[in-house]
Amino acid sequence: MTDMAIRIASMNKYYGEFHALKNINLEVAKGQKVVICGPSGSGKSTLIRCINRLEEHRSGIIEVNGIELNDNVDNIDEIRREAGMVFQNFNLFPHMTVLENCTLAPILARKIDRAEAEATGMQYLERVKIPEQAHKYPGELSGGQQQRVAIARALCMAPEIMLFDEPTSALDPEMISEVLDVMVGLAKDGMTMVCVTHEMGFARQVADRVIFMADGEIIEQAAPGDFFDNPQNERTKAFLSQIVGH
Amino acid sequence: MAHADQNIGSLQPSALMHIKQRYFATRFDTVITLICAALAAWVLWGLINWALLDATFGANRGDVCREDLHGGACWSVVATRWRIVLFGLYPFEEQWRSAIACLVMVFVAVLSCVPWFWSAKRLPILWIAGFAIFYVLMRGGWFGLVEVTEQNWGGLSLTIFIFAAVSLLGMPLAIIFALLRRSKLPWIARTMALVIDTIRSLPLLSIMFTFAIVLPFVLPGWAIGDKLYRVIVGYALFFACYQAEIIRGGMQALPAGQEEAAQALGLGYWHRIGYIILPQAFRNALPPTINQFVITFKETSLVTIIGFFDVMASGRAASGTADWNFATIEMYVFVALIFFVFVFSLSRYGAYLERRLGVGRR
Repeated sequence: MTDMAIRIASMNKYYGEFHALKNINLEVAKGQKVVICGPSGSGKSTLIRCINRLEEHRSGIIEVNGIELNDNVDNIDEIRREAGMVFQNFNLFPHMTVLENCTLAPILARKIDRAEAEATGMQYLERVKIPEQAHKYPGELSGGQQQRVAIARALCMAPEIMLFDEPTSALDPEMISEVLDVMVGLAKDGMTMVCVTHEMGFARQVADRVIFMADGEIIEQAAPGDFFDNPQNERTKAFLSQIVGH
Repeated sequence: MAHADQNIGSLQPSALMHIKQRYFATRFDTVITLICAALAAWVLWGLINWALLDATFGANRGDVCREDLHGGACWSVVATRWRIVLFGLYPFEEQWRSAIACLVMVFVAVLSCVPWFWSAKRLPILWIAGFAIFYVLMRGGWFGLVEVTEQNWGGLSLTIFIFAAVSLLGMPLAIIFALLRRSKLPWIARTMALVIDTIRSLPLLSIMFTFAIVLPFVLPGWAIGDKLYRVIVGYALFFACYQAEIIRGGMQALPAGQEEAAQALGLGYWHRIGYIILPQAFRNALPPTINQFVITFKETSLVTIIGFFDVMASGRAASGTADWNFATIEMYVFVALIFFVFVFSLSRYGAYLERRLGVGRR
């Protein structure tokens, strides 16, 4: 086994003719927390969506926990079970209760029996502080609550890596902190995390490394202290001044 | 001030006020209202006279009807010949089987309204079991029941049989078509689209004809089967093509994030389809699906053309003898009533489902 949770080497991704990701090299060690930021259209979402094959890369290598991501469907399913994902728009299943959302994949994909899956589900719902909503439908919950359910749902699969794709961007401002609190808690427990986010406070607090992307390339990566206080690249400086300016 | 008073008045009108405002507001409104009311009363009175007051009830009173000078309805034809409408040419002593078989299917339909049965496992089991009981009862040959071949089936029980068989065969086919139509492999998706569009652009009647009459010349002997089943297969294919597009529409209405979330959780293709995509697609597609069932039930009457006596043709036959040939309208009214009971309850059930499934939706 390797100590690398994620290894991406010379990876390229195209949408038709459009070169969306250019020669991406990225390694994330187990337990590391990486924050990816950059202007919109820079390819950050595409990058983490390539890690669990929601997008298909054209060339290069992607390995998750030493499993290579290729056309082998078993590998893809295995990687998806190892890497939980939280989306910008929550994507909870509206026709199932909160608890059913949490137990569906463990029961079907991990073949865990229902009672055990429900116990685990309740445990994670408690961890994200909404066990009392277990039997409600997602449509009855606020955005912040839905996103916390989405995190619990991903955790129920006992993933080794969590991918966050702008988890707070669709939330009303007053709900952002309740989601970030859960994410900080996860980070403290040693989860390997890759987060696409513009929450720079969160990046400073938990990230081991901040990655700046623009036009499909990784422009700069550094520890948060260096990244924020002493950015090297002009584009990083311009981006940071815009974010801080707000 | 006066304006404000008027507003309050219009917000909570007494029943009389309400009628006055709506129907007698101006002189012109009053005239229109009176004319319409008179027309309605006249039609209703005529109808009541014909259907009830001047009508002849009771079995075997055809002679009374003939000499009846008032021209009222002759319900005697229904009282005398209803068995033909319900059972067609089914042997008289065995008609209780046909009756029970129909009741079983109605019971299955009622049971499928119970939420407990709404699962991908229970609903198909219920329908297949109900259909099997129906078939064994109708066909006989087992359990000491006298065999009655399909040639002798008819009336309402044949209509129910065709409808249930087409739905049972057509629905899984429709799901398969819809999934193939959405396939990531372009040649599969395009071929399926071509098949669906081709069958949809043919009249149902010509498809039934082809399957009943033409197919036996083309197929090898062992694959021909009874004419009834060939027609059912043809009809099911037709149903599946329409229903597949309805299901596909329901799928396309889903946000892409639903499938992605299921993928990200490591759910395989069939789990995603069975637990995430189809349940939501069916919910989205419920109104057109009910509509499709209504149309399918009513269009079973087309099998008349190929020589089957469904409820419609049986009705015509029942009043087609020399004794009763004056009472066709009464017979058609009776048949229409049967259709109405089935289709109207189907529609109401659909409306109930929509309300019920709306729970928990944003």
